[in-house]
Amino acid sequence: MNAGSALKPLRSLLPVLVILALIALVPLFSPSNRFLSLAISAGINVIALYGLSVLFGQTGILSMGHAALVGVSAYAAAILARDFGVGFWVALPVAAVASAIFAMIVGVPSLRVGGHHFVIMTFAFGQLLAIVLTNGGDYTGAATGLDIAGPVTLFGADVTELTRYYLMVVAFVTVAAVASWAIIHSSYGRTLRAIRENEKLAASLGINVGRHKIGAFVVSGVFAGVSGVLLAYFLGHISPSQFSSFPSIYLALMVMIGGARLIEGPLAGGILVAFLPEVLNLDPVQSRIVYGICLIAVIMLLPDGLIGGIVRALRGLFAGKAKQEAERDAAPSEARR
Amino acid sequence: MIWSREDLKLKTVLKLAASAALCLGALAHPAWAEDNIVKIGVVAAESGSFVSAGHTLPAGVGLAVKQINDAGGFKVGGKTYKLEMVKRDDRTDIATAIAATQELVRDVKVQAIFGSETHDFTLAMAKITQPAKIIHFAGNSTLAKILNPDSVKPGGEDHYLFQSEPQEFQRSGSTARGVLSLLEPLLGFKPRKSVMIVGNDATGQFLSSYYYKALKAEGQDVPDIIFYPPDTTDFSPFLTRAKSLNPDIIHFWYNGDSTLTALPQALELGAAKSYFLFGVDPGIWKEKQLSADVPVAMSCVPVCWGESSNPKAKAYFEAYFAAGAPHGVTSSVSLLYHDYVHFLVEAWQKADSFDPDKTVEALLSLHHQGVVSDDLTFNPTHQVTHATEVCAAAPGGAISCAMQQPPAEAPKS
Repeated sequence: MNAGSALKPLRSLLPVLVILALIALVPLFSPSNRFLSLAISAGINVIALYGLSVLFGQTGILSMGHAALVGVSAYAAAILARDFGVGFWVALPVAAVASAIFAMIVGVPSLRVGGHHFVIMTFAFGQLLAIVLTNGGDYTGAATGLDIAGPVTLFGADVTELTRYYLMVVAFVTVAAVASWAIIHSSYGRTLRAIRENEKLAASLGINVGRHKIGAFVVSGVFAGVSGVLLAYFLGHISPSQFSSFPSIYLALMVMIGGARLIEGPLAGGILVAFLPEVLNLDPVQSRIVYGICLIAVIMLLPDGLIGGIVRALRGLFAGKAKQEAERDAAPSEARR
Repeated sequence: MIWSREDLKLKTVLKLAASAALCLGALAHPAWAEDNIVKIGVVAAESGSFVSAGHTLPAGVGLAVKQINDAGGFKVGGKTYKLEMVKRDDRTDIATAIAATQELVRDVKVQAIFGSETHDFTLAMAKITQPAKIIHFAGNSTLAKILNPDSVKPGGEDHYLFQSEPQEFQRSGSTARGVLSLLEPLLGFKPRKSVMIVGNDATGQFLSSYYYKALKAEGQDVPDIIFYPPDTTDFSPFLTRAKSLNPDIIHFWYNGDSTLTALPQALELGAAKSYFLFGVDPGIWKEKQLSADVPVAMSCVPVCWGESSNPKAKAYFEAYFAAGAPHGVTSSVSLLYHDYVHFLVEAWQKADSFDPDKTVEALLSLHHQGVVSDDLTFNPTHQVTHATEVCAAAPGGAISCAMQQPPAEAPKS
C-alpha cells in the first residue's frame, strides 16, 4: 500500500475540516447574535445528525425517534444538575451513556423487525418518551419541563457567552465529524456497509447482523447524547415537545436532504434546514412545503442527498472535461496519421 | 452656454457632493431621532401552531405604542421619548424564539421584552432577558413556577420578570365561579357534576390542575380530567368517555381553536347538559353564527370583545380592530400586553429613569389604570391580579356576561 492510497481516506475528511475551520472563523466578522444563536442550534442538530448518518447512511436503518435519544440525555443532564449538582463536563459523558443505553433498550426489540416496521417502532418509542416526560410529574417537570442552571466553564472561563458557546459547539461538531469519518473508514464501518447492502450475504460471511445493528444504534445514541447535553445547557430550559415525533422527523429530513453517506451530508442538511426559513423568510407552513418538495426531489433525483448530488455533478463535469481534453489531444494525432 | 469637458466633470463632482451631503443629512436625522426613541421588543408566534394567540401580542403592544406616541410620547429626565416596537416571529419554534430574544437583547438593545405566549418558550427566554437586566412581561401563569420571593428579590435570577396574567388559582377560581353562576339559571338547576376535556401539553396540564381544584372548591364532583393530544380533530373517543360519566357540564380547556372543533361533535353526541369553552370569545360565537340547544358558557382572557360588561373594553377593541387586527378566538389576550406597555411607561416616568432596578421598584409601587382593571398592581412576586370575564349563551342565543373577581386565596388541595 503506497502513501497515496493511505492518504486517500484523509482527503475525504479534509473538505469538512476546511469548512468547519471557516465556520469557526465566523465570529471574526461580528455576526448578529440571532445568527450565532441559530448557528448554535444548527450545530447541536448536526452532532445528532452525524450519529444518524452512521445509523442510516452506513447501516441503512432509518430512525424516526432520534430526537427522543437527544431528549434522554437533555433530561439526564437537567436531572443530574438538579438532584446531584453535576455540572456540564461530568453530565456530558454520563448523559451520552444514558442515551446509548436507551438506544440499546429501544434497539433490541425494534431491530427484531426490519424496514418500515423499524421506522414505525422508533417513531412509537419517540412518542412514548414524550408521553412519559409529559406525565412524569415533578420529577420530569411534566409538560412544562425542567430548568437547567449553572454556567458551562472550560479551563476556568465561562463558555456560556454566545460566541464562546458557538466555538465550543463547532469543536464538538468537528469531533463528531472526525468520529463519523473514523467509523466510515474503519473495518467496523465496512461491516456496517456490508449489512446495509445485503444482510443475508453479510450474515453468511459470519457477521453478527443483529449485534452490529444494535451497536450502530448505540453509537448513534452517543452522538445524540452529546447533542442533548449541549442543547439543554444552551436553552437553559427543556420540555417534552422538543423531543417528540416532529423534531425526530426533522432530523431524519435533514440527514436525507444533506446526504447520509458522505461526511459533508449531515453538515449540509443541518445548516440548510436551520437557515432556509431564515434566508427565504418562510413561515412554518411554507417551510414544510419546501422541505417536502426538497425531500421528494432528493429521493427521486439525488438518492445520496444534496452533497452526494453535487459531488456526482462535479465528478461528471471533470470527467466530461477530461474526456473532451483527451479527445482534443487525440484528434490532431489521428489527423496526422 | 457651452460647457467644456472639464466643466462637465466639475459639475458632476459637485452634483455628487451635493447628493452625498443630502444623503448624509437625511441619515443624520434618524440618528438624532434615535436618541429619543425607546425600543421595546415583542417575541410572538406570528406563524406556526400557536399563531391564534401569538398574533394578538404585537397587535396589543403596537396599539399601545401608537397611543403613547400619538399623545406626544413620554418624559423621562426632562427629555421627551417615543416608543418603537421591534417584533420578531418565533414561528412557534423554540430555537427561533431564543434566537429572536438574543437578537432583541444584544443586537437591537431593547429596554423591555413582551412575550411569548408559549409557556415553555418564555421560561427559556427568561434565561436570556434576566441576566441582561431586561424588563420582561409575559402573560403566562406558568411563570408562577419560577416567580418566588427568592427569585424576584434584587439580585435574584428573575428580578426583572413580570407575570401579566393573574395567578392561575385566581383566574381558575374566578372562571369556575363565573361559569357555574351563569349556567345555573340557564340550566334551571344547580350543576353538580363536571368533566374536563383538556389539551395535553404544557399549558393544558398546568391550567387544568388549577381549574380542577377551583371546581372542587365550588362543590363540583369532577370524576375525570380527559386529556386529548394537541391537534386532535376527532374528539369522539374523548366525548364518548365524558358522556358515559353523565356530566352536567363539560369544560373544554384551553385551546380555543380545538374547542371550536370539539363543540359541534359534543352537541351532536349530546355529551352533556351544558358546556364551557375556555378562551372562546362571544364575538366568535356570534360571527360564526354558532348555536346550541343547551347553555354554553365562554370565558375570555381577560375581557371579551364580542360582548362585554367592561365599559372600557368596547373602546379598546374598536381601536384594536381598527388598527387592522383580525377578529380572533383569543383577541382579548392582547390585553395581557397592551395595558403593560402603558404601565411600563408610567413606571419609567415615575422612576424618571430607564434604569432597570429603578423601573422594577416603580412597577411594584404603582397602581395603574388599565383597560382590564382600574387598579392594576403587581404583588411582591411580580404577579398581577384582576378579574376575568365569563359569558353564557342561552339556547335561544341571548348572551350575558359578568366580570368575576378572583378568590383571595388558593383552594386547599
